Formats: sequence, C-alpha cells, structure tokens
Amino acid sequence: MLLMEEEIALKCRGVVGGKAKGEALVTIEPISFWGGIDPNTGRIIDKKSRSYGKNISGKVFVFPYGKGSSTSSAVLLEAVRCNKAPAAIVNVQTEPLLTVGAILGMKLYGKSIPIVDHVEKNPCEVISNEDFVEVDADRGILVIKRPRTCERSTEDSPG
Amino acid sequence: MYLTNEEQRLLDGEFGYALETAMSVLVKFGDMYGADKMIEIDNVHVDASTYSGIHEAGLQFCKTLANENARFKVPTTLCISAMDFSLWPQLRVPSKFAKKQMELADAYFRMGATPTWTCAPYQYGSGIRFGQDIAWGESNAIAFANSVVGARTNRYADLVDVCAGLTGKVPRFGLYLNDNRRGQVLLCAEAIETGHLSCTDYSALGYYIGAAVGQKIPVITGLSPKSSVDNLKGLAAAAATSGSVALFHIVGVTPEARTSADAFGNNVVQEKISIANEELQHAAMQLSTVEESQPDLIVLGCPHCSVEQIGEAASLLEGRKVRRNVQVWLFTSRVARMLAEKKGYIRVIEAAGGRVLSDTCALHLPLHAWNFQTMATDSAKMAHYAPSIVGVDVVFADTKECLNYATKRNGQATCCSWKKR
Repeated sequence: MLLMEEEIALKCRGVVGGKAKGEALVTIEPISFWGGIDPNTGRIIDKKSRSYGKNISGKVFVFPYGKGSSTSSAVLLEAVRCNKAPAAIVNVQTEPLLTVGAILGMKLYGKSIPIVDHVEKNPCEVISNEDFVEVDADRGILVIKRPRTCERSTEDSPG
Repeated sequence: MYLTNEEQRLLDGEFGYALETAMSVLVKFGDMYGADKMIEIDNVHVDASTYSGIHEAGLQFCKTLANENARFKVPTTLCISAMDFSLWPQLRVPSKFAKKQMELADAYFRMGATPTWTCAPYQYGSGIRFGQDIAWGESNAIAFANSVVGARTNRYADLVDVCAGLTGKVPRFGLYLNDNRRGQVLLCAEAIETGHLSCTDYSALGYYIGAAVGQKIPVITGLSPKSSVDNLKGLAAAAATSGSVALFHIVGVTPEARTSADAFGNNVVQEKISIANEELQHAAMQLSTVEESQPDLIVLGCPHCSVEQIGEAASLLEGRKVRRNVQVWLFTSRVARMLAEKKGYIRVIEAAGGRVLSDTCALHLPLHAWNFQTMATDSAKMAHYAPSIVGVDVVFADTKECLNYATKRNGQATCCSWKKR
C-alpha cells in the first residue's frame, strides 16, 4: 500500500483574477454572507447551514451561489480587512454583486481573492472538505489534490 | 465592454485614485453582466449608509474617497442611518457606535450627498422622472422607482451605488433596456378588490406577489386606479422582500402599463395566477410568528411613513394614552417629520406616549438593549426580517389594530394578526 496523490484538473471561468491555494470548505447550500458569516472571525453563523460553526478563513470556499447579496459585498470586504477572508471562492454561478467585495479588497487592502465559476464539473460534488485545491483564476483552471490509496503493482516497482 | 476615451482614462487612474477605483468596480460589474457600454445616470440613492451594514471596511472606503476629494457627480441621496441623529442616546445606541455612524455621515457630506437618511427618497428628497436612467440602492426604493415612477435602475450592491455617484456612470444592461422591462407573469387580483384596501392589505398582497414570481416581472390587474402612493410603497417593499422584484406593472396604475398589452409588449405570458382573499390570508399567516399576543413594541413606518401616514397615526392616538410597558415607534424621514410637526401631528403622538423617529430603521437599532419580546407591525417587510435580525416574535396586524391594542385601558387586551375581512 502506498499513499499517492490524485490530481484532478478542471477548467473554469475566472471571475476575479489571481491565484490561491488551500484546504477546501464545501457547502452545498447557497449562502448569504450577510447574516451568514461573521466577518470578524470567518465563522459560518447561519444556523440553517449544514456548515454552521465552520470557518472560511484561509480556505478555498466552495458553494453554489450567493444569495441576499446587496450587503454581502460589504461583509466580504470587512472579512478581507480583518484577515478572515477565504483564500479563494469557487461557485457554480457567481453572484456578481458579491464580486464587489473581492475587487475592493484588492484595491483597498492589496489582498486578492480569486473567484471562479462555471467549473466543468459541479464543484460542490467533485470537491470534498479534506481536499487541497489550487485555483488559478487568470488561466481558468482549478486543481484538486487528494490522497489516494492504491495497490502497488509489480509494473510500478522501480528497477 | 466598449469604453470611451474618457472612461478609459478614468480607469487608468488619470483622474485620481477615487475615480479609478470607482470605475474599475463598475467595469468589472458590467463585464460580469455582459454590458455593452457605459451610460450616464442622473441620480443616485446610496444604500451603503449604515455603519452596521457596511462595517469598518466600508467606512474606511468612504473616508478614503472623501479624503481623496472625491465628489458625487450627480444628485445623490442617502438611505437610512443606523440611528436617529437627534434621539440616539434615548434609543440606547452605544456612543462608540454613534461616533462611527457620524464619521460615515461626515464622509458622505464631504462627498456632497444630500442627507435625506430615508428608505423612501421618492416621497421626500429625490426628484426623479419617467424614463430617467438612475442608480439606486435599497430594494423597496428600486422597485418603486422602476415601477411607479418609471425611472430605470438595476439592483445595486452596497458601495457600487457610491461608485455610480462618483462617476455618474453605470454599465448598460438589465432594466436600462426596453426589452427587459416587459411583464412575464400575469396576476389577476380582481377577486380581492372589495372596496377600500388599506396599506396593510397592499403590503400582504405584495408579499404574496414577490413569493409567487421570484425574479420575474409581474403584471397585476384588478387594482384600483386610485391606489395611493403609500399603498404602492407598501406593495413594492413587500414584493421586493419575498422575491427579488425590481419592477412590477399594475395595469391602469403604473406608467408602463396603460393596458395589459402595453405591459407585456412582445413577451408571451409565461404564467397566469389568480389572487383572492385566501391567497392574501396565506401570505399574512407566514408573516406572524404568533397569531395573537401582547406585543411590547409597535413599529410603524417600514418603509418610512409619509406625512399622511403620521397624520393617520395621530388621529388614532388623539386623546389616548399608550399603556405602560408598550412602546409605539413611528419611523419616518427628517423632512416628513418636520412637516408633520408643523401640522401638529408629532405633538399629538408624543402626548399619547408614542415616539416619531427619523433617519433610521428598527432593524438597525439596538432593540436587544430594550429586551423586547414581541413586535407588532403593519409592514410585511418588517414582519419578515424582524424575527431573524432582531430575534423577536412578530404579529403582522393593520395600523388600526396595532394602535388600538397599544392604547387599550384593559391590560389583558391582545393584538391579533391581520385577517382579510
């Protein structure tokens, strides 16, 4: 038995540019940053969310789309200011209003949060919480890395 | 997206950091929605006006812009503040928080905003006309401006409205285009038009409509051509709460719906829904967390009361006394309050023990510091948000029921949830 790394590269659309990597945090329900995330801690505070209590800070945050968005942009910006923002955001379909927080985060605090959507496979299904994800929004590629256990066969043996 | 020479220079930072920042947000925003170019707007309503909503980062953004000498290019009004600027100490707003809200106010004054501090700027403060391109924040104001006035705006996120005001420009897409303003769903309300409908009735109706159509554009028939501005305000606010309705048409009432054919244009009717008393009752039932209760807070004025609505409350309270352990709070704009004061309404309400608050909203005040348990309100929007945002129980009741309950001598009396008569 050998622990190997599985790599899955998927094409996606870069919504807000930049590169980032980190551990994935996946939530399958749409999330509202306003009333859903505490920008001072990065904790998910929406009690209806199955990810309630988890922390988005520094994670590659994967969720289908944002809802209740008009104040959500300001909450994301505040999370950037408090150093509690996610490293990157991966959506099925990005709510455009949310991107304002990321754009201003770059302008005001020089911190980038790459955002991608339209991934060739549903990111909420192919990415799991333990995965390590690299997001390149400039090239439109995301790479999922996860440990894989496989049988060592004779063909694979060196020399 | 096509940019003119001047727009490109703004984006390149030739006119300074503030305009570069504003332009980069707007261009990105337009690219995401597939806008073809920028258009000029005539008016802005800024929703990024509460410190509680935009947080420290938003305040820093506004202060930075003001310090860079950024100035609004078009008439720009402000939505609500997180406190009444005169009465905040009585409302138990912490002074540290008040200071932050004042810093935000100062930044906006320096940028040249008009300090309207109201969620209903279309009644007092903003002069907008039919067909005008504008950029407004705050869902009820957006729905009212598009639908009742016939001005044109998309929904804007907090701080994008500020960027629009500084540049006087927005990307062209969505509701700025004729073809996107036509109706999609027909709602027949003939069955509920039984004489005089109150503001609370319109609010319940709007709540039903928003939930029924979601993001689509409703065309409503069967409402009175005499529907008042206050009634339409209630309908707009409720529809924009239960759905993301930014535009609705009422045949024979709103300007882009002289006839049903007019309202639908080339669109086919995707769906037809009939509304009767039963549907209104169903909507109202979802709004009350308790059917009958003894509320300790009455909230009227969501959206902000007009002078006439303050007058109605004054006539219901005249010569009566609000009982102990009940608070009656009316929310309005500073302009309406000043006019209501001249008409003697404020004196009557205060003599009865009620308060008339300006500039603010119950959802942004520190209600927890008052330990309120149950709120009664005549607004579907307030009833929808109060349980989750403020953590109180809610009775959705009409104005008269709310104030009758609050002034009953019998301490055992209760306030009952709205019922279609």
